[in-house]
Amino acid sequence: MDTSSFEPTALRMEGVSKRYPGTLAVDNVDFEARVGEVHALMGENGAGKSTLMKILAGSFDDYTGRIFIGGSQREANLHSPAIAKENGIGMIYQELSLARPISIAENLLVGRLPVRYGFLLDKRAMIAEAKRCLERVGLDIDPMTTLEEISQHEAQLVEIAKVLGNMPCILVMDEPTSALSREEVDRLFEIIQQLKRAGLTIIYISHHLSEVFRIADRVTVLRDGRKIATKDISEVTPVDVVQMMVGKRIDEFYSKRKAVIGEPVLKVRNLTRRGFFHNVSFHASRGEILGIAGLSGAGRTELARSMCGLDPLDDGDVELGGDFVPPESYQESVRRGLFYLSEDRKSDGLFLRLPVQQNLVSVLIPWNTTLGIYSSRNDARVARDMIRQLEIVTASALTDAGTLSGGNQQKVLLGKWLAGRPRVLVLDEPTRGVDVSAKMKIHDAVMEVADQGNTVILISSDLPELVGLSDRVVVMRNGHLIGEMRKEQLSEESVLLAANGQMERANA
Amino acid sequence: MLKRMRLGALYEILGIYLIALLLVAIGRFVSPQFLTNENFLNILNGVVLLGMAAAGMAFVTYSGNMADLSFPSIMAFSGIITVAALPLGLIPALAIGVLAGMAIGAMNGIVVGALKANPILWTLAVSFFMEGFMRFTWSNNQVYPDTAPGTSGAAFIQLFRVSAGPVPLTVLVMIGMFIAGHFVMTRTRFGIETKLVGSSRETARTSGINVRRVILLDFLVAALAASTAGIFLASMNKLGVFYLGLGYDFKAVTAVVIGGMMLSGGRGHLFGVLGGVLVIGLMSNIMDFLGVTSFRQNIVTGGVFILVVGLHQYLLRKRGKDYA
Repeated sequence: MDTSSFEPTALRMEGVSKRYPGTLAVDNVDFEARVGEVHALMGENGAGKSTLMKILAGSFDDYTGRIFIGGSQREANLHSPAIAKENGIGMIYQELSLARPISIAENLLVGRLPVRYGFLLDKRAMIAEAKRCLERVGLDIDPMTTLEEISQHEAQLVEIAKVLGNMPCILVMDEPTSALSREEVDRLFEIIQQLKRAGLTIIYISHHLSEVFRIADRVTVLRDGRKIATKDISEVTPVDVVQMMVGKRIDEFYSKRKAVIGEPVLKVRNLTRRGFFHNVSFHASRGEILGIAGLSGAGRTELARSMCGLDPLDDGDVELGGDFVPPESYQESVRRGLFYLSEDRKSDGLFLRLPVQQNLVSVLIPWNTTLGIYSSRNDARVARDMIRQLEIVTASALTDAGTLSGGNQQKVLLGKWLAGRPRVLVLDEPTRGVDVSAKMKIHDAVMEVADQGNTVILISSDLPELVGLSDRVVVMRNGHLIGEMRKEQLSEESVLLAANGQMERANA
Repeated sequence: MLKRMRLGALYEILGIYLIALLLVAIGRFVSPQFLTNENFLNILNGVVLLGMAAAGMAFVTYSGNMADLSFPSIMAFSGIITVAALPLGLIPALAIGVLAGMAIGAMNGIVVGALKANPILWTLAVSFFMEGFMRFTWSNNQVYPDTAPGTSGAAFIQLFRVSAGPVPLTVLVMIGMFIAGHFVMTRTRFGIETKLVGSSRETARTSGINVRRVILLDFLVAALAASTAGIFLASMNKLGVFYLGLGYDFKAVTAVVIGGMMLSGGRGHLFGVLGGVLVIGLMSNIMDFLGVTSFRQNIVTGGVFILVVGLHQYLLRKRGKDYA
């Protein structure tokens, strides 16, 4: 412990453990957070961050160890969510807990709606109270708007307002920025600063080093269920934190690759889908990793999906190796080796209820079929090879994909497309919410795809990833392609400036 | 590893056959006449048409579209059309009857596959429409074949009655349908793609599968099976009429579900469904021996359905597999 602490303790956990059948998810962890600090909690997937916070939220009645809240000498037995709430603990999860078709006010005040005569809803009081809640997070919108009419960012603020309504003294935020654009993150951080000044303790879980170094006062790193260290943010560097997280020395996050770039293979001309993207033209070559930079909402995903034939196109054409790819016919694109890796593995990336093996061979069906009869002869071998190549951690090839950890699910998703031998592989956020080691494995595999003379198109909001992997970057803004950057021009700062529409400064 | 999967799958199928065995034991206890060849044929005859329908229904369930509730109208319609077309000769009449049923299946498949209509509501509406259509067209009347000796009508009513040795043609057709259906479901591209679509329609689409075509084919296969059952049903009754086929929608789904096929799609086995059909046959036969009237039998069948669906859900949750 450092000696510079003047602030009183808001939370103290001593020797806390939680055992799941077969694993010790949290192993004898001591954790302490002070009043008015932002305390980052970091670790790879499976390090125990989420379990530790779930203990705090009262999700388990069988943890061991002692927890003290707000400097009290009495042990708080957080054995149910209601007890945790009474102790002033508020949780904001990755997935929002709001109901979409009903109004903001009703979402905010659910469970404590103001009533008259014991049963009549007091609408005026509800609106006034909702307005007060929204003010705390700097939102100025009509509380009677339904949740589906507002943006993801605003919904997130509503969620925060809802939790603040219970007057917590400790606020846990689990990956709050995963669905936000850069500007929205800035606004969220301002609000976090305000809450901090108001004396709240914020425990901030994130995979993003840059965010943690911007917002946190201290950082605690967990690995394999154990606490590695708690440090003042000023006394560590991002490299230190990563080393604590992965437990081994990483010299370079991104190995420098010498790309051998061949002739153009994918040519996109004047692609337009009204309302999403307009007049987009670019090309990509054999052996090249072409990044597409842009803020969320710039139209990158929409462009990729339409280009591959998953969504409609209003105008323009796509040429692959000299042939035109028919629009709105993804089967045809897949047959020609133009693949799209979905940004959302849960909703349309993986067959969660089917075995890993079935997922890995699902793209190969047309190739394994003769006269309508499917030959499963190669399935086991393909799966075994892919599990070995990507180091997928699974009990067996026949385990359901949905039971794997996030990083391993993402590897299965990539493996499914690698098994299909892509000519052009379009990757949409290939490492979202994935731990560091899975990320490095995925990066290795992506570089290998390009080194074999294929083309990779990379859409990523993870700037170090985009900059580290891309040989060239095209920049999208508001549905238009606004520029191109060569490898030597790429840095996190320049790409960020370009994505914000400041091309000249980016290239200066 | 492969062995373990086979064993697991085997257990899933065997479960329903264990229940069937248990019912056989109960039947033996209920009546000494239960364990005779004659009664065994009785049981088979009682469920053979249901078996045909369930084999087809399984494809719709497997594809994640729960159930085709237009089965009664497909069965009645193909029966009426076949009877009406008998003057053209037996084989042409059968072909026309099957095609008529499959036309309804094609419509279902296109609307559910391409337009993403809710399969339950859509096929329920189709059933309602077709019943009205048939009542209007044939003025609420039954359609009779000309059964004079030597005519195609006489041959038609024999369809349900002929046997190869001791085994009726209907039973052979049903077993053939299950074997062919099992092969299609597990060994063909269409079968594998049906499983993937049933597991996650969106993921199947983004994996390069032509989801619309797969769902269309599933409804066509279902309609083919329902039409076949409907034609035999008309042959059994020696007539075609709008209400033949009533109740086959729900009974077929019951057989599919107690046979271990998940209503959410992508999981299950056609041999399990065959087991489900046999269990329904055995239950009904035992209740006949006990003198339970058919209305009360419906209560039992419905109760079993509720029990099995509830049990499925409970087991899924217990295994922690409700993540999808």
